[in-house]
Order: sequence, then structure tokens, then C-alpha cells
Amino acid sequence: MIQTLAFYLFAAMVIASAALTILARNPVHSVMWLISSFFNAAGLMIIIGAEFIAMLLVIVYVGAVAVLFLFIVMMLNIDFAELRAGFMKNFPVGIAIALVLLAELVLGIGAYRAGALELGVPDGSAAPILGASNIENIGALMYGRYLFLFETAGLILLVAMIGAIVLTHREQRAPRGHQNIAKQIARQPEDAIVNTKPEVGKGVQL
Amino acid sequence: MTAFFQSLGMTYEWAWFTSTIAGILLIALPLMLAVAMIIYVDRKIWAAMALRKGPNVVGPFGLLQSFADGLKVFLQETIIPSAANKGLFLLAPIITFTVALLAWAVIPFNSGAVLADINVGLLYILAVSSLGVYGVVISGWASNSKYPFFSAMRAAAQMISYEVSIGFTLVCVVLWAGTFNMNGIVLAQQGHGLGFVNGFFFNPLLFPMWVVFLISALAETARAPFDLTEAESELVAGYQTEYSSMSFALFWLGEYANVLLMCTLNAVLFFGGWLPPVEWSLLYYVPGWLWLFIKIFFFFFVFSWIKATVPRFRYDQLMRLGWKIFLPLSLLFVVLISGWLMLTRYGV
Amino acid sequence: MRVSPLVDLSQYLPILIFLVIAAGLSAAFVFLPMGVAHLTGAHNPNAEKLSEYECGFPAFEDPRSQFDVRFYLLAMLFIIFDLEAAFLFPWAVSLDLTGWPGWITMMVFLFELAIGLAYAWKKGALEWE
Repeated sequence: MIQTLAFYLFAAMVIASAALTILARNPVHSVMWLISSFFNAAGLMIIIGAEFIAMLLVIVYVGAVAVLFLFIVMMLNIDFAELRAGFMKNFPVGIAIALVLLAELVLGIGAYRAGALELGVPDGSAAPILGASNIENIGALMYGRYLFLFETAGLILLVAMIGAIVLTHREQRAPRGHQNIAKQIARQPEDAIVNTKPEVGKGVQL
Repeated sequence: MTAFFQSLGMTYEWAWFTSTIAGILLIALPLMLAVAMIIYVDRKIWAAMALRKGPNVVGPFGLLQSFADGLKVFLQETIIPSAANKGLFLLAPIITFTVALLAWAVIPFNSGAVLADINVGLLYILAVSSLGVYGVVISGWASNSKYPFFSAMRAAAQMISYEVSIGFTLVCVVLWAGTFNMNGIVLAQQGHGLGFVNGFFFNPLLFPMWVVFLISALAETARAPFDLTEAESELVAGYQTEYSSMSFALFWLGEYANVLLMCTLNAVLFFGGWLPPVEWSLLYYVPGWLWLFIKIFFFFFVFSWIKATVPRFRYDQLMRLGWKIFLPLSLLFVVLISGWLMLTRYGV
Repeated sequence: MRVSPLVDLSQYLPILIFLVIAAGLSAAFVFLPMGVAHLTGAHNPNAEKLSEYECGFPAFEDPRSQFDVRFYLLAMLFIIFDLEAAFLFPWAVSLDLTGWPGWITMMVFLFELAIGLAYAWKKGALEWE
């Protein structure tokens, strides 16, 4: 009973937050609603028993991706009026994309219903190991059966990293006099201080 | 606890519900009390190290100082700057404090004494603490003022930088413990060192990771020497500059609750949590929660000690430490520890 | 290893209840003092008090100015390393099931990202001044 209630609570919140994400006028509010929608999606994941995926959703999407969105939206100093002016100009394109996506959805579900697609025939090789937790099962599958796909994911991450650096990194202005921290820490009082007792009127030879 | 309420004649559901609520209050209320006291302790330690007396006027030895401060801010006017974004301005302290409380749900206080005994307890803590950055960023942006905004940017960059190395050190702990369950991690440390020392810190491969974790914890909670977010000579009071009254106090409460959480994580992940320091049957007569509290207090003392003695980092030094030293180092130790475990435990 | 169903949902309900209580408590802490201030008469705003913190004159420019692109780069690098850690989590607890092949797979993965880190280092993306 509680599970059903929780499901409807989370599901309603996901849809409402997603709607508010695109309806909010202030982009920062949009990001906040997006975060709320991620969060409730994590709740839904827990209800179907995917606790690891739920935690990842919060760690990666809420904790990392949304932070980047927030950075961008907060700091680009977006002119709201200008944005709204662009809205009418791009309206037909937006509608066209929405229609294409809708057609894809309809086609996909239609094909699935008509039985034209074979979605993952269970052959027992990916059956969960009973007694092991969710996360161990995912690990056993990903690093056993699907390890080449996993390596591909690693390559994609590498490309993403290099791409991000190439696109955003600008050559530095002349760097400040370089500091060698290891050298600074290794410096001892003996290297820096000399105790002398000069005679009167003689001065010190440095 | 459910059984106790059932014996009072409740049905199972109600007994469960009542015991859960009681458990939550047993965590949240003492935590707030502990935060009030720990602020006092912090000031006392700091004062003692500077040869001052610290708070000593309100109540015996100044013990009631934090409560007097609390009452004062409670009765103050809440100022919302006219240029601020009102909704987000008030939301920021709520997020900070909620998140600071929420992480405590999976901390084991004694054998089996944990509110939510989930399989992915450590990931839950990582998830919740990654939300902490929002309270800071939103307060800085919503204030619509220069200093809070700069401070929020610094804080956000600093927090996400050190979250990376915290993530890798946690992987090292999990590799050795073989589970994400907090109780499981504590139990895996039983007799870890030479069969009688309880705690992963004794392990020569995990000890460097503990050092990395401790320093990253300081940076993550923006404690000195990493308190660049509120470097008062540059940024007034950081992202809290525009706040007043209880909204201001909530940032403080949340900050200290986070510091306590990091001390607790040090104790639970590397120092055996509620286990006594060494395996000796006499020590088990002391209740487990007391051992945990002693360890938490010890780490808090270390935090205060560092705050009193170490000068503040410069921002480029901070970033260098996080990305160029801790990140490669913790990656290297993931490789070393997993390789060692493959050779000795799994691979044979 | 504990023998348990894949996931115990009843352990998550306390977290949900805790979330509600914690959020309620913090909201009360924010809004109660506002009510109390109205009652005691402490609530007495004026234009000067409500202006943003500055050195006695109005701010020259919009405080939300454009920021150094390095912060974006930092956030992107953070996402990538966070994902890397996310891949490490299931691997760390399933080494007993995957054995040497699983370990070698992860070493190759870590090597790929170490190349990325070395590239970022070489390009000076991690430099701050």
C-alpha cells in the first residue's frame, strides 16, 4: 500500500517538476525543478528495487551534471527578455523536433506491440545471483559479460574529457613565477638563517 | 525498538511507525544539541591554543553561550535584501540544514543501531553530501550581491574538486571491506591489525588513504585551512554575508553538523566505528555508542587543532593539492589495493 | 555474506520520513523567526537595510557577472571523474565474482582515464593562478 502511494507521489512529482522545468521563466528556477525531477526519479528507482541506480542518479546527475548546468545558467548572465524574443523565432524548429520525437515514440511502441522487435530474449546467462546485493550483480555482469561495452564507455569518457579541454581551454597569460612547493617545504632553518656575532664596526659579510 | 512498542499493545505497523519516528528524533534532536555544544567546544579549544579564555560568561564555564546566541538570532529580524531572489534566498538555508541532517540516517551508532540499514549506505552518504554544494551556490546567487557570489563560486569549485578524491578513497575502503553497508564496513575492521587492533588505519595500504580522506574532509566542509569561502579579508562573510537571524544560524548549524559527520566518517570508515580500539573482552563492557562518541570527539579535536594552527591556503594551492596530488595518489592506491587483494584474497 | 533479498525496501521508508521531518524542521527554523519578529516588532525594514552589502554606495555593476571559463572546465572534469568513480563502485564489491578478467578490465579503463588526466595536466587545464 505504502509502495503504491509512494509510487504515485514520486511519479506525480517527476512529471510536475519536468513540466515546471520547461515552463519556469527564470533559468535558475528551471535547473532547480530539473534537480527535483532527478531526485524523484531516484525515488522511483528505489521503488523498483534498483537502489544502486538510484544512488548513482543522485551522485552523478544531481551532484555533478546539474552543478554544471547551474554554473552555466548562473554565470552566463542571460538576458531574459532577449531569450524570450528568440523563442518565437525558434518556435517552428522546436515544434518540428517535438513532432519527430513523438513520431519516433509512436513508431517504436507500435513496432514493439506488433512483435517486430526481439527485446532481449532471456537465456538465463544474466540471471541475478541470489543472496548477493543489487550492486554486486551489476558488477558481476558489467565486468564479466559486458566488459567490452564497458571499455567502450571508458573510451567515450576519454574523448569527452579531451573534447572538453580542447573546446574550453585557452592559452594562459604568462604564468607567475613558478613556485616549487616541494623545494619550499624541504627548506630548513639552517639554509635560511645564519647566527653571527660581528664585532663592533665590522658589519656582516653575506 | 519495534518490539517494545508492540508490547505496549500496538499493532506491528503502528509500533514500527512510532519507533521510526522515535529513532529519527533520537538522531536529530541530540545532533542539534551536540552541534550547539561543539561550537562552544570549538571556541574553547581555539581560545586555549591562543592563550585566551574563550566564552566564560553565560552559565557555568560559559556552557550556555551557544544557547544564548541561538536565542538571540531567533529573536532577530530576518532581512531579505530587496535585490535578492526571495524564494531561492530562503530555500538555501533549508537545503543546507536538511542535507546536513539527512546523512545521519545510515550511520551505525552501535551494533544494529542504525535508522536505515541499506545495502548502499556509503553511496547514500556520498549522494547526500554531494547535495551540500547547492545550499552554498544558491545562497550566493540568490543574494544578488558581489561577495556572496564570488564566495559561492569558490566554494562550489572547491567542494566538487575534493569530492573526487573522497570518492576514490571510499572505493579503497569498500575494496577491503567488500560491502557498502555501513555496519558491514565496521564489522570488517574487527581485529584488522595483527588480529587485535580494530580499524583500517592500521593497514599500511589504507593509512595513506585515511590521511587523504581527513584532509579532503577538511576541504569539503570548508574548515580552516581551506576556509577560502569565508576569507573575511577578501569576501566579508562569504556566501552568508546577506543572511541574518535564524537563516544565518542554519548555515552555521549545517556547517558544524557536516563537520561532525566527517569526524564520524573518519571514525566509522578507518577507526572501527562503535568497536573498541583493540580486541579485549573487558573493553566490550563499554557501550559501543560511547566508543563512537569518543572517536568522534577525538577527530573534532583534531579539526579544531588544525584550525587553530595552520594558516589558510591560497586558491591555486588548494586546487593543486586536490587535482594534482590527491587525485593521482588515490587512483594509484585503488590500483595497489585492488591488486594486493587479487593476489591475496580473490585471485588465488 | 548476508542472505537477503536483492533489496530491502522497508529500510528506505525511514529515510523518506526523515527527509520530511528534516525539511519541516529547517523550514520551521527559517519561517518561525520571521513570525516572531513581526510579533515582537523587531521586523522593521527600510531601504538602506535591504540594500546589498557594499561600502556605503550602490554597486556599480551587476554582481552576477561572467565568470572565468575555467570553472566550467572544472565542472566538466568533475563529471568525468565522478562517472569514473561510479564505475568503480560496483567493481569494488564484485571482484570475488569477476576475478582477474574483471580486474584487468578495470586497469585498462583506469589507464584510459589516466591518459586523459595526463593530457589535462600537460595542457595546463589544472593550473590556477
